[in-house]
Amino acid sequence: MRAGPWWRIGWRNLGRNRRRTLITMGGLAFGYLAVVLLVAWMEGLTAEMIDSATRTLSGQLQVHDMEYRPERKIYDTIGDRDGTDVDALVSEVAADPLVVAAAPRVYAGGLVSSGQATTAGLLMGIDPEREQQVSNILNAVIEGRPPQAGSNDIVIGIEMARQLAVGIGGEVILVVPAADGSMGNDLYTVVGIFSSGLAELDASYAMMPMESLQFLTALAPDRVHEIAASVDDAWLAPQAAERIAARLALDELGIEVEPWTRLRPEMLDYAQLAQAWNGVIIFIVFAIAIFGVANTMLMATYERRREIAVMLALGTTPFAVVRSVLAEALCLGAISIGIGAALTLPLMLWFYNAPPDLSWLYGDFTMLGALIRPVLRVEWNPGMWFWSGVALLITTLVAALYPAARAARIPPADTLSGL
Amino acid sequence: MRSMTLLTVLILVGAGTASGQRTAQEIIDHVDRIMRGESSRGVATMDVVTENWERSMTMEVWSLGTEYSLIRITAPKKEEGTATLMADDEIWNYLPRVDRTIKIPASMMMGAWMGSHFTNDDLVKESRLIEDYDIEVSHDGDREGVRVWELTLTPKEEAAVVWGRIEYQVRQNDWMPTWARYYDEDGALVRTMSFSDYRQMGGRLVPAVMELIPEDKPEERTLVRYTELEFDIDIDENFFSLRALRSGGR
Repeated sequence: MRAGPWWRIGWRNLGRNRRRTLITMGGLAFGYLAVVLLVAWMEGLTAEMIDSATRTLSGQLQVHDMEYRPERKIYDTIGDRDGTDVDALVSEVAADPLVVAAAPRVYAGGLVSSGQATTAGLLMGIDPEREQQVSNILNAVIEGRPPQAGSNDIVIGIEMARQLAVGIGGEVILVVPAADGSMGNDLYTVVGIFSSGLAELDASYAMMPMESLQFLTALAPDRVHEIAASVDDAWLAPQAAERIAARLALDELGIEVEPWTRLRPEMLDYAQLAQAWNGVIIFIVFAIAIFGVANTMLMATYERRREIAVMLALGTTPFAVVRSVLAEALCLGAISIGIGAALTLPLMLWFYNAPPDLSWLYGDFTMLGALIRPVLRVEWNPGMWFWSGVALLITTLVAALYPAARAARIPPADTLSGL
Repeated sequence: MRSMTLLTVLILVGAGTASGQRTAQEIIDHVDRIMRGESSRGVATMDVVTENWERSMTMEVWSLGTEYSLIRITAPKKEEGTATLMADDEIWNYLPRVDRTIKIPASMMMGAWMGSHFTNDDLVKESRLIEDYDIEVSHDGDREGVRVWELTLTPKEEAAVVWGRIEYQVRQNDWMPTWARYYDEDGALVRTMSFSDYRQMGGRLVPAVMELIPEDKPEERTLVRYTELEFDIDIDENFFSLRALRSGGR
């Protein structure tokens, strides 16, 4: 090994008490593993929540008339009363490089009735083809099939189906206050039942072909309430929204393009809170590491005080002693991280490719209205692994500063005379 | 049965409290019954103006006691035959286009009736004022040269009502209501109903026009104008059955 004498001394000192060195290394390696894994899990949970919240139904970004939110009146369609060229606008939104797909939607609130039972429903007119590329709601159809364009098909949630005691092939009546003030009403055939796992969705949402709902609510075919779009990486949605907004002449059309971070600010808050928590986790683990390393190095230098005294007596500068101790700490840290990485990487690969499913232990649960699967999903974040390693190395160095300073100040004469 | 109970209540209340209270009850009871009689049939038009649309409907209305009423739309064409049956606090709608009846769920009772400013709840609750509210005369004297009573109705503790308070103004000379104001539980005015065009119909003096204006949208209104009204006609409870609702009531 071609290195300066201080490095060699530091390195060799590690071998003096191998058991202690190995235990310390094990501690540091485990600390590294803990930081990387915990942060990856936290990020996995956040990602799962955002995925669920945006992919289930809403999409990662939405286009509305400026007046539409929050009251969601049936009249406030994109382009107001005149409507808009829906296909052109959808293509325009879908043309953004980050956007995977875009789909138009019409909403109305009304009564869904079957036999003696009637319930309030949120009716959603969709383009079945395009909707499938934007949200997962049609993939959540567990019985039957999605609605077909140009029909009076309807797909309802499993809870609504239970309340109405209606199954596939059953007939429901929709009564909807239409945009012209009349009461739109018609018969629909239940062709599919979806189960999203979200109680609110399953109990009150119903999906039908867009033209059918437009007819029912006396809205012209060029009037839609929303264009929802999917973006693969949810965190890039704000960027995509901004770019789409810049390209469309928003003021002229009177529309807004909102990413999920603005549609669901509580979710963004949560993600940021989770990030802050990651910081806390990292801090705690590294604080423990500091004391562990400092303790080891103090012990090591104390045991070696006579030797250091000899070195100092022979003319070694105190600074050289500091360097040798720091070199020892650095070697300790570097090897620990090596071990840590060797342990962590396979584990991460495993968790990433086949996240352990804890559904035998817990059922699905909901958080901020998003469905979370009980899987130990992790996020793939090599940058985070790298910086954790660097931080750990710096931590060991910092931890060694005090023992090194003490070692440098060992009084040679007193120590050697056995005082 | 109901009117017996009502009478008992009236007598008991009358015996127990000041005569002012009894008068207040009588006034509201009278206002309640003006448009109803023991049974009635009428034809009315309803004009609804909202910020988004205006429309006009014609309808035929029947009632029996305070328990039953039936409204059948006769125009416009798109909604002809649509009917609403109120029986025992329940509301059923008949939809001719799909030839089905649906029951309005309790959760939708505050929903608009036929796009108007009346709620479904209005249709079933309006007839129960003296049962659900404590009534007192809050003003007895002149208003703009007309002698009127103003009555304040506060809900009884156990009453399942949506209003925090209702105020009525009734003319003393002919016991005709002039307006009613509806307040929410915080005491804020929610809507005002005004009565006008008092005339003899079916042998009684009635306000032929009722106009409802929501306080938060003063440019919106629902105006109901009776063009025909007859009382004590020959109908019974069978007329107000679901079967009759479906078959067109004839």
